[in-house]
Amino acid sequence: MIEVASLSKRFGKTQAVSDLSFRVEPGTITGFLGPNGAGKSTTLRSVLGLVHPDAGGATVLGVPYRELDRPLHRVGAVLEASEVHPGRSGRNHLRVLAAAAGIPRSRVEEVLALVELSTAAKRRVKGYSLGMRQRLGLATALLGDPEVLVLDEPANGLDPAGVRWLRDLLRSLAAEGRTILVSSHVLAEVAQTVDRVVIIHRGALVQQASIAEVLAGAQGATRVRSPDAQRLRELIAAQGGTVTDVDDRTFATDLPPERIGKVAAANGIVLHELTVERATLEEVFLELTAGETTQ
Amino acid sequence: MTALVRSELLKVRTIRSWWAYLIVIVAFTGLAVAAQIGSTDGGDRGTVDFQSDLVETAGIALLLAIILGITIMTTEFRFGTVTPTFLVAPARELVIAAKAIAAAVLAIGFALLALLVVAVVALPWLASVGAETHLLDGEIGTGAAQQILSVVLWALMGVAIGAVVQSQVAALVGTLVWIFLGETLLIGLFGLLDIDGAAAYLPFQALDAADGSGGGELLSYWPGVAVSLGWIALLGAVGVARTRRRDIT
Ligand SMILES: Nc1ncnc2c1ncn2[C@@H]1O[C@H](COP(=O)(O)OP(=O)(O)OP(=O)(O)O)[C@@H](O)[C@H]1O
Ligand SMILES: [Mg+2]
Repeated sequence: MIEVASLSKRFGKTQAVSDLSFRVEPGTITGFLGPNGAGKSTTLRSVLGLVHPDAGGATVLGVPYRELDRPLHRVGAVLEASEVHPGRSGRNHLRVLAAAAGIPRSRVEEVLALVELSTAAKRRVKGYSLGMRQRLGLATALLGDPEVLVLDEPANGLDPAGVRWLRDLLRSLAAEGRTILVSSHVLAEVAQTVDRVVIIHRGALVQQASIAEVLAGAQGATRVRSPDAQRLRELIAAQGGTVTDVDDRTFATDLPPERIGKVAAANGIVLHELTVERATLEEVFLELTAGETTQ
Repeated sequence: MTALVRSELLKVRTIRSWWAYLIVIVAFTGLAVAAQIGSTDGGDRGTVDFQSDLVETAGIALLLAIILGITIMTTEFRFGTVTPTFLVAPARELVIAAKAIAAAVLAIGFALLALLVVAVVALPWLASVGAETHLLDGEIGTGAAQQILSVVLWALMGVAIGAVVQSQVAALVGTLVWIFLGETLLIGLFGLLDIDGAAAYLPFQALDAADGSGGGELLSYWPGVAVSLGWIALLGAVGVARTRRRDIT
């Protein structure tokens, strides 16, 4: 569906993308993740024929983007919310693109309604909030009713209600069988929406996997609270577990809860709490992309 | 291609500065005609020569046409709208071609509007002072047609410059400085080098020759048109090459 093969791109001294390869399978939502400056936008722009790679390349629906016939009907994209003339109204922005793509005006009204922008559509974009611009960008991407969507940080600037709205919209678009590639630098933002993730760092692939696989890679810890914490700590240490104190009565250990329950029962120790702490998505993400030097 | 041209025309019409172009053309042309008629004595007003000069007051449209041509091209880079534009039409040379056609169409409109203003101001005025009017004569008609073609050439030159320079401010300021200062200096330099004849081939000297009004050092009409088209083609080719190569980030 989307295939990036050995893509490399350098801007002056910055190697923005280096030898990056990944695939986006048909009918899935794929999160494209990486910290600021990781090369996400450069990759997406290369996929869309806007940036010329130094080496390698990308295909969409089996061909390079530039070779698509009526591209807006096949691939919809939002790259930056600000790529609109500030003096033009939202509706006219869409009409201009619809005219170029041979899309009827009625479709402009449809997408405006879909992104809930109908009432603001006659206002000039200059007066739009960042969230409204993102919605306009999504409307642009949906104009041609495309089967593939490429979205660069569409949640940027949306409030929590907006993020939820976006999530629901993406889910319903995917449920219609569309393929979606959505970038973000916040894993949690897309974790509930995406099926798979492609994580890049400094222009290179870090991981390409399903969300479940990423989470499974996270090391869990067990949190224990007991009035007799001191004795239990010693018993666990004797079993080879490492112990990190939280307070007098609480500590965390790397032994699984089953082992701790057994030790406590065997020694008649009362437990007030025994919980498994999963590393959060953000922790996993930070771990995977550790060593980032901001450029 | 027609879809792209329609889109380009819609782009121009959906921003307010569109009205500024029309207002400036009407106001300046109106003032220029009025000043010319008002400052001339009765007898001369009825001559073909005088009335030919009146048609040339439509020349403000030239300047607006080149500004429009530059703007049509460079606004896209200024506001980043070039991204959605190239997503719709990945063949970038077609986008530039559509912009050139749209600019030419609008330039014809500018020229007709300016000529209309000339007619609306001059005809009743001349009639009221009892001067015989030749505005519909063949000679003046030819002058008007040449005027229209020349406005189109200026608009195309603007698109070509915009495609080469791409930065809106640099293109606009650079072009105005070139027109009003650069070529004058070069003509002086050519004089010092004893190659005065080459001056007539400078882009805006050629465009000057192509408005049909003639002038001492200028090329005659058709060579002027041909040399103008040559410059437009040259700059246009450079602009297309630059635009195709450019990374849109
Ligand atoms: N036109 C350009 N000229 C020079 N350097 C560029 C250009 N575009 C991108 N870069 C550099 O390439 C690197 C990757 O940038 P890119 O925008 O692809 O990252 P990103 O992952 O999208 O980051 P963010 O999360 O901040 O949007 C950065 O170091 C950036 O500074
Ligand atoms: Mg980015």
